[in-house]
Amino acid sequence: MKRICQLAEYGFFRCVLFICDTLPYSVTCLVARGTANLWWLVDKRRRIVARDNIIRSGIETDPKRALAIAKKACHNMALVIVESLRSTDFLSDDAIDQHLKIEIPDDVKAVLEDPEQSLIIASGHYGNWEVAGHWVSRYKPVAGITRAMNNPYIEGLVKKRKSRYRFRPIPKHDGNTGRFLEVLDNHEILALLFDQHAGEYGMMIDFFGHPAKTFKTAAILHLVTRAPLCFASCHRVGPMKFEINFSPLIQQARSGNKHEDIKAILSSLNRDLENTIRQDPTQYLWGHRRWRD
Amino acid sequence: MTDTSKQETILGQLRGILEESSSIEPDWDSFGPQSTIESLGLDSLTILDLLYDIEEVIGIHLEAKEVLNVTTVGEIIDMLVAKGA
Repeated sequence: MKRICQLAEYGFFRCVLFICDTLPYSVTCLVARGTANLWWLVDKRRRIVARDNIIRSGIETDPKRALAIAKKACHNMALVIVESLRSTDFLSDDAIDQHLKIEIPDDVKAVLEDPEQSLIIASGHYGNWEVAGHWVSRYKPVAGITRAMNNPYIEGLVKKRKSRYRFRPIPKHDGNTGRFLEVLDNHEILALLFDQHAGEYGMMIDFFGHPAKTFKTAAILHLVTRAPLCFASCHRVGPMKFEINFSPLIQQARSGNKHEDIKAILSSLNRDLENTIRQDPTQYLWGHRRWRD
Repeated sequence: MTDTSKQETILGQLRGILEESSSIEPDWDSFGPQSTIESLGLDSLTILDLLYDIEEVIGIHLEAKEVLNVTTVGEIIDMLVAKGA
């Protein structure tokens, strides 16, 4: 029975892919928005979480307006999926300039162009992080943590699609930090999304003025391995048009106080993410319970 | 300093570092070179934390990748001694 359900899901997913691959982009977006609207109606719990998070962040105080932002953010998630599935088409060498504007400081560019250096890129669930990962893989292979699909058929298909660019997934529940070190040893890029509730591996760091358990992996890897670290975001400015912004390299000298060093790095990353979100709050994934008091 | 006393000094320093860490509470009565990383409740991320502290307290930089492959405290001590601790 389970297998039949998985095959049915797989069939549905193939249909979605077919729609994405064959229909004009504008039509695909309409379908995605429609699906997101349905999801919005059904998933009441996430709707409330998103609204409350927006209010707590101080970005909006009125519950109705907060809910409107949350709904647009739900549309954004649907767009992320559509854009990511089509990113190979519009990120080809001859089309890339029409779709992407890149702001990259000299120090980060130098690291990307140096075959002997690795780079840790910390980012959040804002805009389209997948597009940023795809673009940066032009320089070096990118590895990042991904959550495996429950359905093995869909998982296989997604892996096949992602292999079209140089992305290596590290399973979310593989707790072996050795995998990260391997990436850095190979002078590749380690892309980490740090803005989800970190549980026991986290450190309480202010996010929009409220303490949130923040993953400290990027910070401790930077402090121990000395691998360069920066923040990056990918802001959608129009249909299939994005601005990718990199922060300068985060230079945190070791003070001898590990807790304070990690806190300084994570505070800086959270501030960068807050500033990015303020640009357009509708492009952020608000539905995640980041604050768990 | 003899090798044995060096090792005992490092063992004491490692214990001090681990005691400072609030996230683990091993059985200190049986703590020694034979203690396994697993029995101490250390995972790969807490080992990275440990490496930061080792560098600060003992003044020796260990390669993270090498340390992640060790299975006992004694192996870490050997690595530190070999690097001149």
